[in-house]
Amino acid sequence: MDLSVVGSQLLVGLSRAMILFIVSAGLSFVLGVLRVPNIFHGSLYMIGAFSAFSIATWLGGQSTGLWLAMLAAPVVAVAIGMIVERALLAHLYRREHLMLILFTWGVMLILNDLVKLAWGPTYRSIMPPAALQGSASLLGIALPRYNLFLLLIGPLVAVGLWLFTQRTRIGKIARAAAVDQEMVAILGINVSRVLAVAFLVGCYLAGLGGALVAPTTSITLGMDHSIIVDAFLIVTIGGLGNIWGALVGALVFGVTQSLGLLVWPQFAVVFPYLTVVIVLLLRPRGLLRSVW
Amino acid sequence: MLRVEEVSKSFDGFRAVHQAHLSVEAGAIVAVIGPNGAGKTTLFNLITGVLTPDRGRVLFEGVEISRQPPYEICRRGIARTFQIANIFPRLTVFANVQVAVLAHERQSLNLIRPARTLAVRETTSILEGTGLQHKARRLAGALSHGDQRILEIAIALGSQPRLLVLDEPTAGMSPEETAATMALIRRLARERGLTILFCEHDMEVVFSVAESIMVMRQGRTIVQGPPDAVRQNREVQEAYLGTSHA
Amino acid sequence: MRQGIGESRSRGAVAAVLATLLLLPVVLPVFYTYIAALILVTALLAMSLNLVLGYGGIYQFHHAVFYGVGAYALALTVTKAGLSAWIGFLAGPLAAAAAGCLIGWFCVRLTRLYFGMLQISLGSLLWIIVLRWYPVTGGDDGIHGIPMPSLLASPTSVYYFILAVVALCLVVLYRVTSSPFGATLQAVRDNPQRCEAVGVNVRRHQLVAIVIAAGIAGVAGVLYVALERSVFASMLFWVLSLEILVMCLLGGWFTFAGPIVGAAIIVALRTFVGRYTENWTMILGIMMILLIFFMPEGVMGFLLDRLGRRPSAVEEEALAYPAQTAGKGG
Repeated sequence: MDLSVVGSQLLVGLSRAMILFIVSAGLSFVLGVLRVPNIFHGSLYMIGAFSAFSIATWLGGQSTGLWLAMLAAPVVAVAIGMIVERALLAHLYRREHLMLILFTWGVMLILNDLVKLAWGPTYRSIMPPAALQGSASLLGIALPRYNLFLLLIGPLVAVGLWLFTQRTRIGKIARAAAVDQEMVAILGINVSRVLAVAFLVGCYLAGLGGALVAPTTSITLGMDHSIIVDAFLIVTIGGLGNIWGALVGALVFGVTQSLGLLVWPQFAVVFPYLTVVIVLLLRPRGLLRSVW
Repeated sequence: MLRVEEVSKSFDGFRAVHQAHLSVEAGAIVAVIGPNGAGKTTLFNLITGVLTPDRGRVLFEGVEISRQPPYEICRRGIARTFQIANIFPRLTVFANVQVAVLAHERQSLNLIRPARTLAVRETTSILEGTGLQHKARRLAGALSHGDQRILEIAIALGSQPRLLVLDEPTAGMSPEETAATMALIRRLARERGLTILFCEHDMEVVFSVAESIMVMRQGRTIVQGPPDAVRQNREVQEAYLGTSHA
Repeated sequence: MRQGIGESRSRGAVAAVLATLLLLPVVLPVFYTYIAALILVTALLAMSLNLVLGYGGIYQFHHAVFYGVGAYALALTVTKAGLSAWIGFLAGPLAAAAAGCLIGWFCVRLTRLYFGMLQISLGSLLWIIVLRWYPVTGGDDGIHGIPMPSLLASPTSVYYFILAVVALCLVVLYRVTSSPFGATLQAVRDNPQRCEAVGVNVRRHQLVAIVIAAGIAGVAGVLYVALERSVFASMLFWVLSLEILVMCLLGGWFTFAGPIVGAAIIVALRTFVGRYTENWTMILGIMMILLIFFMPEGVMGFLLDRLGRRPSAVEEEALAYPAQTAGKGG
């Protein structure tokens, strides 16, 4: 097999992994700090993508419009997420996991129909900003510029999240709340506000993932379904609640998926699932340390 | 009956139990004491198979049990209670004990017969023996803390053990409750011919009840012997009183 | 004594429901008979999940796989092996139970969310095989027009066949939940650690529960084929698993009959509300959220509470014990 084919497939896999990482990191953060397995995280991702399309179209579909859409689309997801959090979810944090799954799935069903009402069932697509169109070569392998851009954004988000949890006051409190919420409450900190901020970060990452994926795929209903299970599996093999775990999990998932295409195209989707099975059987609590 | 030989267990480099040893004669009441964090609960978890020792071994009636799963150890005749009330909150008090009796009678995988006709006599007798018979129909989760601790002992009795391991059976109890519980334990030991191994904070309780006392400190066994010998032991005195002198 | 009255009352309720179900095809048009049959099949599927979920406390997140395996086993027995559908009716549940044993054997090594995620991965592997192995499974087209025995030619006879099999399976499930195994399984749900300490091999009990539940899901799968004469790859998709999970929670997962109510609500909603609006799932979502806030024990749990009964049929069962002993003693 041609080595450059493998190389370019690997790079495509890695850039796909960056999207998976951004979405999973948000899911993992919410799971770690709030203990909420948030199924409508996938809906926020889909809303991020549709919003990116609408904002870009509204701004005329030019390069600046596309850049602005990338920045503004996650805000739409955050707004919707925060309405749900403040109005409903904030009252449910103490419930059992199964009840939270039921709740967040209910929200997913509602959001799915709202998206259908707002955008209709047709496919949408947008172009990457002009600067990111075409292809460039990396280590002698030609790759779409946009994928290279994703390869830059992923680590940036990881570092940003790391700085947020390590260097900011609210991030540190969120990290402490992940381990022991009662202790944080005893210290006189408004836990509800911390949880809301953590949830906001999660929503932002879901929306950002959606906005970033928009130029690479057709934007359609059902995006929520296709991402959410993958994101949960990534979070699980990485170690529930561990941000770096989400990165490792996403890399493993994305790379096995894209390399699987070379090995056995018809059944390529099998490989990431197979990897998850092997990882969980060898390390039942994920690759990196879980906060659970 | 039970011999713990040079057992060690570390967590992430922290030596919770280090070369501890202990021996329990059949029919005896043996206590393990030591300050908080001395490794008492870890030791009990090593004996009952919740944890596996890094080194050393545990022998019960001459058979090594240190690498067996908890359910296997229970079937050999060791039942235990836990430090925090560890019951089945959504089941009735009756069902709590019955589950243990059914497991002992190897009926847990019986899919055919209705459970209500099985193990009734034995379960009822245990509930009567522990004074819980009037609460048999209540949900276990709705019992008072004291009753839940008694229920724990009743569940353990359901396994028909020869050795009963009790992890702080009177934790969180008032002095009256403590006295009543210890009296209950002694009576049960006598009536059922049980050997008892327990750990406890309350020194008065330990020295009035135990026939043999093992003292732990920082995961190690300092001494094991009859109460008087332990009271006179220099190292024990240092461990409990000496820190202020030193 | 109160027990006796409660018991005879619930017996009366069961008899009344059964009589109504027997009369349905006589009084209702064919379409409603079909919907009733679909509810029965879905209810059986949800009940089988609740054996592991509500009674066992196991995070069985991909139960639909066993439903799909049962259905495909029947479809392939008839269309590919050319054997009689009756053999397929036996092969379906057996294949599902075997799949349950295989997947369960891996999953019981993990707990809770980890268990659920491993099951989703393993289940998705099966789903992908069904979806992509065109020559055998027909891929995402599924298999249609599966020939059925002449005995099951009319919608009415299919309905009675389904009713009989579902009733039989419910009796089996009831017996299992009230057996020593059922009691132990609930203890495992409440406190696995304590169970190990009283001599229960927790993993083995969980595996047995999964195999039984998978087998019964397989029965539901073959009944679906008897009704629809088709199979689809989406029968093994995780969305259906989530849907039946919701049926259990909606109806009341700590009650014996709760999942039936949940299944009836969702199937009826899809059929009747779905006729008026494309956005019926939004209504389902709103109902689910209302339920979490106002009826956390599910519809059946709520009703039993209102009737002054305990929230769990199992606990009612347990309540009968002391009465029994008192009877023996005096």
